[in-house]
Amino acid sequence: MSVSLYNTGVSGLLASQQQLATTGNNIANVNTEGYNRQRAEQNAAIGLYNGGNLIGGGTYIEDIRRVYDQFSYKEQVLSQTNLSHADSLNVDLGQLDQMMTYSGDAIDASIENFYNAINSISDNPSDLGLRNMAISQAKILSSDFNSLDENLTQLVKSTNGEIRQIADHISDISSEIGKINEQVLHTQNSVQGQPNDLLDARDRLINDLSQYTSVNTVVDNNGVMTVMIGNGATLVAGITSLSVNVRAGDPDPNKTVLTVNSANSSVTLNGSSVGGVLAAKYEFRDEHLAQVKSELNRLSMAISETINDAQHSGLDLNAQEGLDFFTDINTSFIQQSRVYTPTQNTGDLQSRVNISDITKVPTDEFMVEYDGVNYIMTNLTDNSTLNLGAPGAINSAATTAYGFEFIEDSGTPAAGDFFIIKPTENSASLMKVTLADGVGIAASSAIEVTPGQNNVGGGDVEITNVSDPLTAQSYATANNLTVDVYDNGSGAFDYRIYDSSISPVTPIASGSYIAGSSAVIDLPPSPAASAFQIEIKGSPTGSTALSRETFSIADSFGVGNSQNALSLGLTQEKGILDGGTDTFNQSLAISTGTIGSKARSAELTENTAQALFTQAYNRNQSTSGVNLDEEAANLLKFQQAYQASSQIISIANTIFDTLLQAVR
Amino acid sequence: MRVSTAQFYFQNGLQMSQKQSAVNEDATHISAQKRVLTAKDDAVSYGALTGYKEELASIERYKKNLTQAESRNGLQDTLLGSSTDLLNQVRDLMLQANSGVRSNEDLGSIAQQVKQGLEEMLDIANSKDETGTYIFAGYKVETQPFSVQPDNTVNYNGDNGVRELQIAKNIFVPINQSGEKVFENVANATGDFSANYNTNTSGVSIVSAKIVDRDAYNSTALNPQDYNFSFSAPDILTVTDSDTPANVVHTGPYVAGQKIAFEGIEVQLNGNPLPGDDFDITPESEISLFDTLKSAIDWLESGSSSASSEQGQVDFSTILEQFNNVLDHITFQRAEAGINLQQIDRQKNIHLDTELYLEEGRSRIEDLDYAKAVSSFEQSSTALQAAQQTFTRIQGMNLFNYI
Repeated sequence: MSVSLYNTGVSGLLASQQQLATTGNNIANVNTEGYNRQRAEQNAAIGLYNGGNLIGGGTYIEDIRRVYDQFSYKEQVLSQTNLSHADSLNVDLGQLDQMMTYSGDAIDASIENFYNAINSISDNPSDLGLRNMAISQAKILSSDFNSLDENLTQLVKSTNGEIRQIADHISDISSEIGKINEQVLHTQNSVQGQPNDLLDARDRLINDLSQYTSVNTVVDNNGVMTVMIGNGATLVAGITSLSVNVRAGDPDPNKTVLTVNSANSSVTLNGSSVGGVLAAKYEFRDEHLAQVKSELNRLSMAISETINDAQHSGLDLNAQEGLDFFTDINTSFIQQSRVYTPTQNTGDLQSRVNISDITKVPTDEFMVEYDGVNYIMTNLTDNSTLNLGAPGAINSAATTAYGFEFIEDSGTPAAGDFFIIKPTENSASLMKVTLADGVGIAASSAIEVTPGQNNVGGGDVEITNVSDPLTAQSYATANNLTVDVYDNGSGAFDYRIYDSSISPVTPIASGSYIAGSSAVIDLPPSPAASAFQIEIKGSPTGSTALSRETFSIADSFGVGNSQNALSLGLTQEKGILDGGTDTFNQSLAISTGTIGSKARSAELTENTAQALFTQAYNRNQSTSGVNLDEEAANLLKFQQAYQASSQIISIANTIFDTLLQAVR
Repeated sequence: MRVSTAQFYFQNGLQMSQKQSAVNEDATHISAQKRVLTAKDDAVSYGALTGYKEELASIERYKKNLTQAESRNGLQDTLLGSSTDLLNQVRDLMLQANSGVRSNEDLGSIAQQVKQGLEEMLDIANSKDETGTYIFAGYKVETQPFSVQPDNTVNYNGDNGVRELQIAKNIFVPINQSGEKVFENVANATGDFSANYNTNTSGVSIVSAKIVDRDAYNSTALNPQDYNFSFSAPDILTVTDSDTPANVVHTGPYVAGQKIAFEGIEVQLNGNPLPGDDFDITPESEISLFDTLKSAIDWLESGSSSASSEQGQVDFSTILEQFNNVLDHITFQRAEAGINLQQIDRQKNIHLDTELYLEEGRSRIEDLDYAKAVSSFEQSSTALQAAQQTFTRIQGMNLFNYI
């Protein structure tokens, strides 16, 4: 009887010891990440049959198990993925927002300064100092574009670097989970009880993994976990770990692609839909950064083209046609770089893209696919398609709505070949000032209209669209052009254009227009190439065939002529981009504003994701987390139990002694 | 709910870092004095903000142009003012010269003074601005616009270009007037024709010769051409054109004061012509100021004999009439500069108003409302403090303290 009391006491001692040890372990791991609190499951030992009664045989620790709720844990993993995604986007967009705001301000200021310099020239066109100032300002403007573009490219590269690191990290996690699976399998066969710490470690790895991508796990009867990432790509199957790798994109090497590789297979992962940080990085790179970059490219292209165009309409200080101020946007190198040709294409078509109307160029990307008969162009933003016609007979009118043309250079396509077109590609990075000297700024107009002295007003002739100022100038000088216009008495106005070098003097062009409209005439007249256009307008009401309003068109070059500088300066206030609605500054503001609003909404999303994560975390912690107060109470509890158990042994001893003395 | 220790630290840490970032953000806005630092701060108004800034920058540029235009037009105003004074002096000299008692020497010295006047006038017409370019040369700002020949004729070497500056979105103001317009295009006092007297014994002169019906005038194939007027007894006037052989375009008795009309032209004469008087009219609707001065010098230099003749008196009055026209013309050109100056003033005021309004709009979006910002800062820093204090309090409460 007392023997059993001994045993009971000892079992209590042992159980309390294990309880204390478990409590101690909990306390020790209070700050261990991913640690689930453990509990020693204590049970009463089966009693001994003695004297017709079952007498309890003490206690024992049945198992030490972790307190773990797989549902709340899974919820935490899921919200962790969402939080990491939102967090990563928030940080990246915040950075982009700052970059665009500050660099955008710099570009704004450079545009302003450049136009101020041009404005000074229109006040004083013969001043070389002012002209050279404009060249310097233009250089600052182009280098601002270069550096912002460089920064954005750098961002793309660093994003790619992060993607590569994450892929490596995922591969590491994968191989560790594989190893743990192996150990779990091993312990399952050899040891009674759960391998709590291994399971904790594996869950911790899953938690880690869930930051980068969405994770799904399935645990089988042996405790072995199968891990799937993204949309169900298997990362760990039993004890086999797969690795995640990054390879260069095709055709754009900067659009890197993720693959899940095993020894003999390779599956491509769609980066933008895997969830977590990875998806955030892909979204940031392929949507937000790409959009900003393309808008920036388009802006620099528009500025270059607009200024160059204006230059070509005027004469410089040496009475020569103005040369390109900035790099020509349609050099064959830039044109070719707008087309990305995948290596998998089997045909050998070389193509390029020519920008024909800068006001219409969108920031979208396009894919041109040859279906064996025709080229089909798809707008990758809205998935609308256009049939461009068969090879060799491309219908360039089809793309005029987009302001560019797809041009075949050489070779022939094979059916299924496709090409990615980025119409604005490389404009910002290649923007340079090509005008070397301020003398070259075409401030002077080539020709000018002078109204006749006897005009009583009403009629008006304007020069528009000078495409070849030198020819215009020499043509006007050689031919002594005069335009006359009069009221023909039937609600319309007749006009004639005379070339006095032709004898006898007969009109080279004549016609009429109705009141309120105008007539636009190419000069020199066809078949010669047009060098400029004149617009005859206004209502010279009351004038007759014999009392016409006359206008002469003559050479107007002079070092003090700044008409062209004036029209150059006016391009700052003119709506050019997006179909002629936005000025340069407005276009930039729209890009920056868009990023700002994306950054703002990313911040809100992050706040929500944070709140959801905190909830899930709290729920999980309230089940599995260690509470020190609770453990302290347990310490006392088990200490007392230990002391009490010691007392049992002491009592048993006393009883035994009493018995011995009785028989002595 | 059961709260784990880690959860407690996590929660508090999160709270404090959120509060800290709020305090930090408020502080950044306060120190920059801006409500909108990046587009993110107010993405919706960011476009409007950029618009305001762009407008303000344009106004800054317009104001600069206004200053330039003002000084350019002001300079023209001054120069034309002094030329008016100068021409008045010359006119006075001419009036003195025609007193009829002047000797050849007197007239010679007056001619010298008028020549001096011509030189001064040339000096004004060849003025340069502060950048060293000619004011009245049109676009040929580096070419001296007026040069005088030995015979006192003056040539214009510029063109009729007019430079403009933008002083508002759609308003351009001229900053120069071409020398041709200012000094050469003076309307002929007699209209569209000048007279050239061949024989004038009676002192007859034309008051005006104008094209009144341009249709009729232009329908004459030979025009523009000279016409010859000759009087024969008894008071018969015959006008012939310059065709070969000449056609008679008008003939009949001449009644003094009556207008003579032919081929769309109306001619008014003054005086009572005598038979044998004969003169031509030649189309000339504008006479250069310098030509008028030259005629004056020529008249003075021809001496007292011509001054006393009938023809001399006719010439003198023609010159004087033309002088009046010159003065009117210069005044008119001066007024044009004045009108420009007025417009500049008006635009200046408009810009000042607009600037104020734009600045207000910009400020409303971009600038910080101090009261609001400071109270928000106070609020967030109080919240942070509270979070910190609660944290230290609670984390001190631990059962282990009592074991």
